[in-house]
Amino acid sequence: MFLTRSEYDRGVNTFSPEGRLFQVEYAIEAIKLGSTAIGISTSQGVVLAVEKRITSQLMEPTTIEKIVEVDKHIGCAVSGLIADSRTMIDRARIECQNHWFVYNENMTVESCAQAVSNLAIQFGDSDDDGAAMSRPFGVAILFAGIDEKGPQLYHMDPSGTFVQFDAKAIGSGSEGAQQSLQEVYHKSMTLEEATTSALTILKQVMEEKLNSSNVEVMTMTPDKLFHMFSKDQVEEALTRGLLVEHPVTLTVGQKA
Amino acid sequence: MSLVVKPNFPDYQTAPVQRGFNPYADNGGSVVAIAGDDFVIIGADTRLSAGFSIYTREQNKLFPLSSTTVLGCSGCWCDTLTLTRILKSRMQMYQQEHNKTMSTTACAQMLSTMLYYKRFFPYYISNVLVGLDNDGKGVVYSYDPIGHCEKRTHRAGGSAGALLQPLLDNQIGKKNMLNVKEEPVSQQRALSIIKDVFISAAERDIYTGDSILINIITKDGIKEETFQLRKD
Amino acid sequence: MSSILCPEIPSPGFSFENCRRNAMLEVKGHAMPKAQKTGTTIVGIIYKDGVILGADTRATEDTTVADKNCEKIHYLAPNMYCCGAGTAADTEMTTQMVASQLELHRLYTNRVVRVATANQMLKQYLFRYQGYIGAALVLGGVDSTGPNLYCIYPHGSTDKLPYTTMGSGSLAAMAVFESRWKPDLEEAEGIKLVRDAIAAGIFNDLGSGSNVDVCVIKKGSVDYKRTYDEANIKGQKQNSYKYPRGVTDVLSTKVVDIEEVSVRVIGAPEDMEIA
Repeated sequence: MFLTRSEYDRGVNTFSPEGRLFQVEYAIEAIKLGSTAIGISTSQGVVLAVEKRITSQLMEPTTIEKIVEVDKHIGCAVSGLIADSRTMIDRARIECQNHWFVYNENMTVESCAQAVSNLAIQFGDSDDDGAAMSRPFGVAILFAGIDEKGPQLYHMDPSGTFVQFDAKAIGSGSEGAQQSLQEVYHKSMTLEEATTSALTILKQVMEEKLNSSNVEVMTMTPDKLFHMFSKDQVEEALTRGLLVEHPVTLTVGQKA
Repeated sequence: MSLVVKPNFPDYQTAPVQRGFNPYADNGGSVVAIAGDDFVIIGADTRLSAGFSIYTREQNKLFPLSSTTVLGCSGCWCDTLTLTRILKSRMQMYQQEHNKTMSTTACAQMLSTMLYYKRFFPYYISNVLVGLDNDGKGVVYSYDPIGHCEKRTHRAGGSAGALLQPLLDNQIGKKNMLNVKEEPVSQQRALSIIKDVFISAAERDIYTGDSILINIITKDGIKEETFQLRKD
Repeated sequence: MSSILCPEIPSPGFSFENCRRNAMLEVKGHAMPKAQKTGTTIVGIIYKDGVILGADTRATEDTTVADKNCEKIHYLAPNMYCCGAGTAADTEMTTQMVASQLELHRLYTNRVVRVATANQMLKQYLFRYQGYIGAALVLGGVDSTGPNLYCIYPHGSTDKLPYTTMGSGSLAAMAVFESRWKPDLEEAEGIKLVRDAIAAGIFNDLGSGSNVDVCVIKKGSVDYKRTYDEANIKGQKQNSYKYPRGVTDVLSTKVVDIEEVSVRVIGAPEDMEIA
């Protein structure tokens, strides 16, 4: 199938005769190789849960960071090329700080997504605004935040398109996870229910067995704002949802 | 010593002649603002002058930036024109970028950064920004020309600022008085005090006079009022 | 008692003894006090029967109004008055000094002093001080030669004119004269013209303000109309700013027993101490 797309799939600044930018589409494909991340927005707050792929026993799991703080009121989960995501998170952080500096108020989640989106589409030819990037970012991002409109969840893909969601999954298991989210999500969900659901679904789509070291959980609530779960808290959440047969921590990197 | 009187023959001077250029003008004018619990009032005189001459007797120095925010400017008029035009476009850009109108607090902070941006070639303006905050409470922000911003309940700025501020501190801030209870100032009293202090300013400050334009900002919008002053 | 520092009769002329000290202070950054200036409108015209002088009544100190109703038409002689603009002290002292000299001159010559004489004395005095005496004057009066009007500049130059203006509002006032002055005006017309010229200065020049003073000098009579026109009415305050009792802080209290102070024992004559 890819073989038929010759000529037009190399340049990021050339449309194919059918009106497609193949490089952008390939970038979107790259997301599907990434680890799964799930976000659910409830009236009480937003929860983000991501899978960490521990590919070696010798790996230090805590150094894999897929949920990051952008500002006190905005957090992001990323999937895809993590190195690319660093650039985008840096931009998001700068934009939030600049907004606070200039306006003495928190940036809205939408504005933050917009600002990162502006960066995401700066591939192609360079112009007066500066040098362009050689290719699109291979990253999808979930923005979880609290602003004057309440808890919000936004999703952005490598094309820079960002859309608000009640619940969204990205990464390799996203198709199945999104299906499950559709079934489980309802408007009156509590944050605790959402956390449990997110972990349950993550468990379903993950190849490895779920434990407190191969999952990251973060909640964004009006009073605590960005809150990353400690290992104990993750364990507690797993136990609460009866997701683990044994409350004992499983060996790192154990296969399912 | 250098105090010995030296003969002065200008025709035989050989030192290079240095001529200065002053990019600033002082066009005078005063601004007074008082904030209450659910309102804020700002008044500015309408005289625009330079040196001993009057440019116009009817210059509005109040700039509504949104339905809840008004900026009062006095000092160098050309700087005022430039600053308010940039502010207006920044307000519109914010509206378009963030899909909401800028709050008074955000506007206050933005003005501060805009002024500090010109730290070494400042806008020569005495700014007083007033409006309703996110809770609908009246607020007054006063600035120095390079961006220092202070939130207060009352402020007199401009050419008669030094004359009027102590009076406001006493009448609104209840300063230097014993046995007085701190109570929020009513809209009617704030309005009459603004008119009275301008009457006094016009008596003693040559750059304040002709008339005043008053903006009363409440949750229902901005109400305008004018009041005549002496014209000499 | 007298000393070198405080002579009984000070030596005539100015004292320059602090000039060096002040110059040094200024070099070291000490700001010199500013003199009160009368940024002023003063005018004079010749009309059918004599001269009419006019002045505003504002005195300023930089941009602050120092006096809202000052007198700028000064007495020189019974047939002569002089409007002053510039440094308040200079106009005041110069006219007073010349007035006393003119009075001596009148006693000496037993004649009504001529305006030309006053003009000559003023210009010679001002020229001597090379403009450092900041007095710009409009001198007017009636003598045996008829009505005379002079305009005297701080450096000592003078003009003899049928109508003239001085001070920071001189252009505004002159605009009125240039459009409406003509020879042999009636008195009422003349006063109206002078009032309008001063009013032009009051309203259009920030250094001039408050009221209009007018002085009409005819042969044998002077009509000094102080506050001829109150050009500006002070605004009516809406609030009362009277302080209620008890708001003023009492910093310290001292009670003096009045009885004890008033009681005075006067001893008998024989107790009196005689030196």
